[in-house]
Amino acid sequence: MSLVSGPGRAGVGNMPAEMQLFVDKHVRYIQSLDTRKDELEYWLTEHLRLNGLYWGLTALHLLGHPDALPRNEILDFLCSCLHDNGGFGAAPGHDAHMLYTVSAVQILATLDAFGEFEERVKDGRQKVGKFIADLQDSETGTFAGDEWGERDTRFLYGALNALSLMGLLDLVDVAKAVQHVHSCANFDGGYGTSPGAESHSGQVFTCVGALTIAGRLDLVDQERLGAWLSERQLKNGGLNGRPEKQEDVCYSWWVMSSMAMLGKLHWIDGEKLTQFILQCQDPELGGLADRPGDMVDVFHTVFGIAGLSLLKYPGLEEVDPIYCMPRSVTRRCLGK
Amino acid sequence: MSLQLIRSFIANIFLSPFAFLRIILLRLRKGFTYTSEYTMPPPKFYHDDEAWKDVEPLPQDDGGMHPLAAIAYTEEYSEAMGYLRAVMASNEFSERVLGLTEHIISMNPAHYTVWLYRAKTISELGKPLQDEIEWLNPTALKHLKNYQIWHHRQTIIDALGSPEGEAEFVSQMLEKDEKNYHVWSYRQWLVKRFDLFDNLEELQWTESMIDADVRNNSAWNHRYYLVIGGREGHAPSEEVTKREIEYTKEAIRKASQNQSPWNYLKGILRAAQLPKSTIKSFATEFADLEAPDDVYSSHALDLLADIYAEEENNKESAEKALDLLATRYDPIRANYWNYRKGLLSQSEVAA
Ligand SMILES: [Zn+2]
Repeated sequence: MSLVSGPGRAGVGNMPAEMQLFVDKHVRYIQSLDTRKDELEYWLTEHLRLNGLYWGLTALHLLGHPDALPRNEILDFLCSCLHDNGGFGAAPGHDAHMLYTVSAVQILATLDAFGEFEERVKDGRQKVGKFIADLQDSETGTFAGDEWGERDTRFLYGALNALSLMGLLDLVDVAKAVQHVHSCANFDGGYGTSPGAESHSGQVFTCVGALTIAGRLDLVDQERLGAWLSERQLKNGGLNGRPEKQEDVCYSWWVMSSMAMLGKLHWIDGEKLTQFILQCQDPELGGLADRPGDMVDVFHTVFGIAGLSLLKYPGLEEVDPIYCMPRSVTRRCLGK
Repeated sequence: MSLQLIRSFIANIFLSPFAFLRIILLRLRKGFTYTSEYTMPPPKFYHDDEAWKDVEPLPQDDGGMHPLAAIAYTEEYSEAMGYLRAVMASNEFSERVLGLTEHIISMNPAHYTVWLYRAKTISELGKPLQDEIEWLNPTALKHLKNYQIWHHRQTIIDALGSPEGEAEFVSQMLEKDEKNYHVWSYRQWLVKRFDLFDNLEELQWTESMIDADVRNNSAWNHRYYLVIGGREGHAPSEEVTKREIEYTKEAIRKASQNQSPWNYLKGILRAAQLPKSTIKSFATEFADLEAPDDVYSSHALDLLADIYAEEENNKESAEKALDLLATRYDPIRANYWNYRKGLLSQSEVAA
């Protein structure tokens, strides 16, 4: 069976058992997440709530069940996380932060709800854009996550991601941001959180993503980085984040999306990776874990499914490797 | 809305800084409650505490979703958060607020708002920063994967203006998790902030970390930062280059199938503008095309393929090395090695 030949639903029913994706189970798993408020972990993860919504919603869209969560309730909740300064917090009462603001914009884009957002919040997009733009460090071009000032290439990527989805990239100094990303390139071809910090697949994704949005992939040492990324695949098919670390489903996304942006996805063994990801499913209650046998969570669920989409697993919606959102959504927002 | 998110991302995605949550959950399953590995302190409540009787806790607003859902998370955490919301609403900065933030951090150190408010409180009260570091040490050791702690620490050490004692503390942290990304990033920040590039102890310490685990990529990266990366693009001197090449060769002899020192070696050569052929005879110690059954390092084969390709009339050897990689020594990346083979014939056509 060729995994790269899809897409199309034909194969699904005939898949050998070990190659089956349990779509309905995963949908139900994600739907169930919000009904678990009597569990302590629900409250201990409050600081991730808006991210979690983005992860769950994106997974559902990729699974072909875009309406499985109540749209209006999502918008109500999202607006209740908005601060006057245009930033979003993780949940009501939490401080505004870049990461949640990006998730909020991604959710609005996925739901095609920018219009309704403007109805609820006057000049909503401009306000959100300004919050993000104000977090840019005018000296170095990088971005902070919040007023506290922690800086990281993740925030820079998030800023370019959200602003481009809203058509507001001109609010920031893209050239300076690009310069900063370039200064984070390492001797092994990868990228870290800041200049000189160790190469890490997650940071590679954010840096390559930012450069792709900015149209500056020419700055990447593509051969060396592609080789480094392909070296992340281990004998069991899974991918790790750094040399000599364990494989983990979420790296399926960060490594593969980076390779896809560089046009080098075929450098790894897609079939083996597909098998590895599918082994991380909970076949009864749904959801994916970081590796076989571990506890599932929505974070690994979305990145596992997005990884399968990049591998052209039959029946899944196409994912955009730059944004980790359905390709149909980014096409609508970006007009390309 | 949502979710039983356990680890990682976005606030920390990559570095799976929320791994601590997982630990918490595992403990919960084992019948413990959060944090302490040792004895559980009794729960602390505020409603019957004299010192807090002027404060009315603010209830959690769940944003209108599922307003009827019962909120049943532990009373202790819930109550403490109610008091935090109340003091934040009235902009109170006081000793008791410090105690409250400490209490909440001990239950849930990933709650970034608490850290932010604590930092503000310390600065408003003009508290001695050294005290804060002393409080932070055991807290950091308890919550290894938490990154808010490191940011908080960096802010305070920066304001203190001295790295005294920090090297020891970092070493202590790395004993528990020798590849912890936050800790290494913090160490780099110390080097840069206090200009420790030429501090011999720093290099020796890095060496001891590599000695302890020659596969620790973080330690290799730190070494590169010290020797080259942090020095604003200055090429290494001949003496330093030689020292680094010899050092790395020794490390490779200890474990030849180890990516980190091979990458490091190539990085040093590039920074010193030396050709890869500089280490040709060294590489053949681990991979000899005449003895294809006895290849000890795919990385050596990879390097040799590049070296042969640059030699005149030796494309055939390069091809042979790449074939060995694609078929025997690294078949999972066969497409990559075949791509490299394709480049060989392209350059032939070009020539
Ligand atoms: Zn993971």
